[in-house]
Amino acid sequence: MAATRPNRFPGFDAASQWRHWDAATAGAVMKRLGPPPPFRYFTPDEQSTAVALCDRLLDLEPDCPVNVVAMIDSRLAEAETDGWRYEDMPEDGRAWSVSLAGLKSDAVDRFQIPFAELDPPSQNSIIGAVRKLGSEAWHGLPPDHVWSLWTRYACTAFYGHPFGWNEIGFPGPAYPSGYKNLGLDAREPREKADEGGA
Amino acid sequence: MSGVRDRNASAWLLPNDGTRTNHRLRRDMRRFEDSDEVDAVVVGCGAGGSVMLQRLARRGWHVVGFDAGPFWDPDTDWVSDEAGSHHLYWTEPRVISGSDPVPMGSNNSGRGVGGSMVHFAGYAPRFHPSDFRTLSQDGVGADWPIRYEALRPYYTEIEQELPVAGDFWPWGDPHPYPHRPHRVSGNGEVFLRGAEKMGITAKVGPVAIPNGRFGNRPHCIYRGFCLQGCKVNAKASPLITHVPDALAHGAEIRADCMVTRVEVDEHTGLATGVHYIKDGRRRFQRARIVIVAGYSIETPRLLLNSASKRFPEGLCNDFDQVGRYLMVQGAPQTAGRFDEEVRMYKAPPPEVMSEDFYETDPGKPYRRGFAIQTVSPLPITWAEHVAAQGHWGADLRERMSDYVHWACLGALCEFLPSAENRVTLSRETDRNGLPVADFSYSQTDNDKMLMKAARGVMEEILHAAGAADVITIGRYAHLVGGARMAADERHGVVDSDCRTFAVRNLYIADGSVLPTQGSANPALTIMAVAARAADRLTG
Repeated sequence: MAATRPNRFPGFDAASQWRHWDAATAGAVMKRLGPPPPFRYFTPDEQSTAVALCDRLLDLEPDCPVNVVAMIDSRLAEAETDGWRYEDMPEDGRAWSVSLAGLKSDAVDRFQIPFAELDPPSQNSIIGAVRKLGSEAWHGLPPDHVWSLWTRYACTAFYGHPFGWNEIGFPGPAYPSGYKNLGLDAREPREKADEGGA
Repeated sequence: MSGVRDRNASAWLLPNDGTRTNHRLRRDMRRFEDSDEVDAVVVGCGAGGSVMLQRLARRGWHVVGFDAGPFWDPDTDWVSDEAGSHHLYWTEPRVISGSDPVPMGSNNSGRGVGGSMVHFAGYAPRFHPSDFRTLSQDGVGADWPIRYEALRPYYTEIEQELPVAGDFWPWGDPHPYPHRPHRVSGNGEVFLRGAEKMGITAKVGPVAIPNGRFGNRPHCIYRGFCLQGCKVNAKASPLITHVPDALAHGAEIRADCMVTRVEVDEHTGLATGVHYIKDGRRRFQRARIVIVAGYSIETPRLLLNSASKRFPEGLCNDFDQVGRYLMVQGAPQTAGRFDEEVRMYKAPPPEVMSEDFYETDPGKPYRRGFAIQTVSPLPITWAEHVAAQGHWGADLRERMSDYVHWACLGALCEFLPSAENRVTLSRETDRNGLPVADFSYSQTDNDKMLMKAARGVMEEILHAAGAADVITIGRYAHLVGGARMAADERHGVVDSDCRTFAVRNLYIADGSVLPTQGSANPALTIMAVAARAADRLTG
């Protein structure tokens, strides 16, 4: 289960500033607050495994407004890659499909239940095992490159969303306003002090 | 600074009404026919290609620049947002291999008019005189067929045209900058504080962002999204520093056109033009001279894809030099945690730099050195730092929530050129059916020692500044080499004037011609090399 996290920036809401952003930026960011596009890449089965995987990778709350897996599905459907792939990995979409099938099969082997149906601690133990494999191949893939693929896509989705910005105190877009108060412990009126740090 | 406007009026050709693009200049742009034999075509409109276009157009040449990506309008095409900036990078498929594969995309590869300078941080240091003769001086790397002095006047010119702001520069060939240094944010303060405590010299700059208005370019607003394309028109990129003047002098830029092959006449041995794809149609532009400026991956790929009966192993590849000696810099980043709020996302990431460790130190087991600079990862990139420490799940979220307390430094380590670090053609093809590039990279022992030493210095600086915890990730930055400049055809692809040894009307004017890379960000040097090549070409 997702832990209850202290709110270090209570009341801070990056997206509340959207009227101060330029139209192109506001359009790109506010779209993420609306409904995601329909799933086009993942099969329903892959989707269920991916949801469970990302819930664990990012410890997502059940009511988290960031639809991480829908954002990943969009990127894969549109082939919006990072512009490279490792020689020992297939292209990103295929790598996601193969690695999700790997999780599912690990779960059936160890617990006789599909990955998505497992309780979170068991899911964590399967994911954690992949991370610790080192150079040993995992379902024909190098585990470190699989880990890199999962975390890159998952973190890009979560920390590209205003919900992710709010809990780290990041105000998001800054055009055309820019910043006037630079320096250590200097804040703009729209920034909030960290109440849970140090 | 009136001299700049007389020779490059780009900044004055931009609008001053709060919009960022001179649409009339683009609409009224001169347009050539495919059947016109233009004086020159330039393949790629980045740092090297745009300078070439502007210089040649100024001298009255009929020139056409091709770019595989769009002709950007910062107002509509770019956003002040990390995840929404994917389209700025070259994200066509590429394969990376070797014992230390180098990620591409946002890290080092541009797309569209302006090239990767659209999303470069903005650091614009010169190379040191020693970079031009590392082999004779330090027994490693390669000697250039030209010395630093040959580039010096071009460095000065380009520094005025971008223009560059910074403190008087005490390293390499000491020199001033045309603009005063910028104010610094929390991240820069931390670096200056730590360096002072350790007796390390650190200076503000040099960044290609004018301090104040420049022509119709407004003052920087310290927004911090330099790596996502400058919507302000404050940070330099060729899109605003050289392209407007090129258009005003009759150059044509053909965006969204992928050049697939350079044609060479079997009988004369001369290049006759370029094949390209526009809107899915295959076309051919005739030209008297062909200048390739696609950068270190796409330039070798284009030459290799231009194989013919005369050049069965790829154009200009008689001596197996094309694609080789490709370099990246080792660019570890070390972050430190401070009780104060640093908020490193504010202000341009390029703020403060030290070149104290740039030159070979005879007391060390390694040759050559590294530079240290402020870098300021935004949240998605910062998550990579945190995830790289092995954190995930609740642990990752908790550590991420500490973002405002972290400062970050980055090193540029001079990795040495090696013949085995190279571009070859993959079996995989792109949507046009062209083989994609496979970039293989492996580090040498010297490279590894430099990475470790740089990390140690960055950790010391951050601790001296008051950081309790520090974390480091290994990464790479920049690209140069792949079609290097050399004294003869057995050691490189082009001569000191950027003319290919094999085809006398074929030139390469981009970062791929650099034989060494120093510990400097390469943009300024790429532009200076192109400006010099243009002078040599036009006499």
